[in-house]
Amino acid sequence: MKRALGIACVCAVVGVSTLPPIAVAQHFNAAVTGAPEIVQSHIDSSFSRLNGSVFGGEGTFVAEHFAIRLRYAQGNVSAKSDTGIDHRQVVEGEALVGYRATQWLTLWAGPTARAYTVGDADQRWLLWSARVTGRGTLLPDKMQTYVELWGALSGTVGNPAMKAGGRGADMGLELRLSSETPLWGRLGYRIQSSHADGLRETVEAITLSVIYGFPQ
Amino acid sequence: MIRLSITLLLGVVLLFALPAVGEAQSATQLLDQGVRAYAVREYDGGAWLLRRALSVEGSGALTTSDAARATMYLMAIEVARNERDSALAAARRLVVLDPRMKPDEQSFSPQVIAVYQEARRNTPSVTIRAPGDTEIKPGSEVFVVRLGSSTAPDVTAVVTGADGRVVRNLYAGTIRDSVDVRWNGLDASGNTPPAGRYSIVVTPRGGDRRSWTLRLPLELARPAVDTMPLPPAPPDSLFKPERGDYKSAWQALIPGVVAAGAIVVVPNIVASGEHASEARFIVGGTIAAAGIAAFFSHHPGQRIPANEQYNRNLRESWKHNVADTERRNAERLRGARLVIRPGAPSLTTSDTP
Repeated sequence: MKRALGIACVCAVVGVSTLPPIAVAQHFNAAVTGAPEIVQSHIDSSFSRLNGSVFGGEGTFVAEHFAIRLRYAQGNVSAKSDTGIDHRQVVEGEALVGYRATQWLTLWAGPTARAYTVGDADQRWLLWSARVTGRGTLLPDKMQTYVELWGALSGTVGNPAMKAGGRGADMGLELRLSSETPLWGRLGYRIQSSHADGLRETVEAITLSVIYGFPQ
Repeated sequence: MIRLSITLLLGVVLLFALPAVGEAQSATQLLDQGVRAYAVREYDGGAWLLRRALSVEGSGALTTSDAARATMYLMAIEVARNERDSALAAARRLVVLDPRMKPDEQSFSPQVIAVYQEARRNTPSVTIRAPGDTEIKPGSEVFVVRLGSSTAPDVTAVVTGADGRVVRNLYAGTIRDSVDVRWNGLDASGNTPPAGRYSIVVTPRGGDRRSWTLRLPLELARPAVDTMPLPPAPPDSLFKPERGDYKSAWQALIPGVVAAGAIVVVPNIVASGEHASEARFIVGGTIAAAGIAAFFSHHPGQRIPANEQYNRNLRESWKHNVADTERRNAERLRGARLVIRPGAPSLTTSDTP
């Protein structure tokens, strides 16, 4: 997967110079998101599957080829186990800097963090990721799809910190809700898998968002 | 003998020098040479030089006082050559140029003075005086000429083009002593006339309409104005198809299929060994359905209202830009200065040869 992602990134960067310029000068959008979330957690040989939901928001700013994206969400996931209910608070976020090569292709890089709080204990994942986002138009100015793939370049988890890695994807459909206002809806599916020595977590979410501004 | 030698010498010099003089020397230099020729009684050469000096138009033309001086000497030469009609014509012209002029009795013979007095008695007493070169902003500033007369004639004053066509009526009425006639630099339609040669023509009204014509030549010049080029029409490549075709239908379908396929396949790659949630198929199915719907909305012949609107906006935007550029250019042209260079006035009477 890492090799494939690397090849995709290299191809995208090489292709940038031959792609047409972008028309949009500056643009900003903001979104509120709610997502039912499924967490599959492996700690050594034990396995637990937690369900819950997270809510949050995100904002994207684009100026010519330059882009910034910030995302934050928090919520709870829980699972029934032999010892009772495994209840975790979840906080996740990302801060990405992007290069918008064309209107449909953006390259991103930046940290992605995810933290659990179980009672007084914390488990924090911090991954430095590189991403590629592609967009396709179904109906101009009305409906579009997106696919985002990412891989961790480096990462840590826990205290004391252990090396961690991961990869993920985010795909979905964006639909304009009103022709009078720049209000969009988004239905997406997100999956990420993070791993470290003895730890492995897979997080899936079906995301529902309301976006103000043209999605980038 | 000495006088004959000088005359011959001057004649030879003029013979070789005149063609070059006509091309290279200014009206003032021609005037000075003409006066010197009169002083040494080289009348033919002098008349030629003075007529050349008076014929120069535009920015190099003689000033009114120099034109009066040239005409005075020309009249004196014609008297000396016994060309009475030509002398009278020159005298009439002199009266128009400078009605208050009194020939110097020390410099000119009694015969010359007598011809001038005769012309003064018989020439319509209408004069026109113009300022020197004047720069105005058409429409908001004016170019003023003063018509003068001691006999209160009823006249019209118009601006005419080089072809005689009336560009603008300036004045119709009686000249009591004097009247200032103003021209704002615009034609009868309110537009600035193109650069070129024009005249202010004053003629009497009523029965003796053709008895005399007073003409003040004008040269109009307009400094270059920077105008913006009109924006080019948007190229065809910028327009979107207004009717569906197979190409656009497939282009609408492919993003939906790719995203839906990614939702099915990618989780198995990202999280191999895990059992990805089947809820993702809801999302994938929705996207696939949207892609199929988009495909059919683009099928051949189907109108695409969004593209029609987009193209309409593109055309309207271009038309708006063109109109805006044209308006700005018109404003710049309207704001451009107009340079008016008056020449020496001339009077034509019904008995002018």
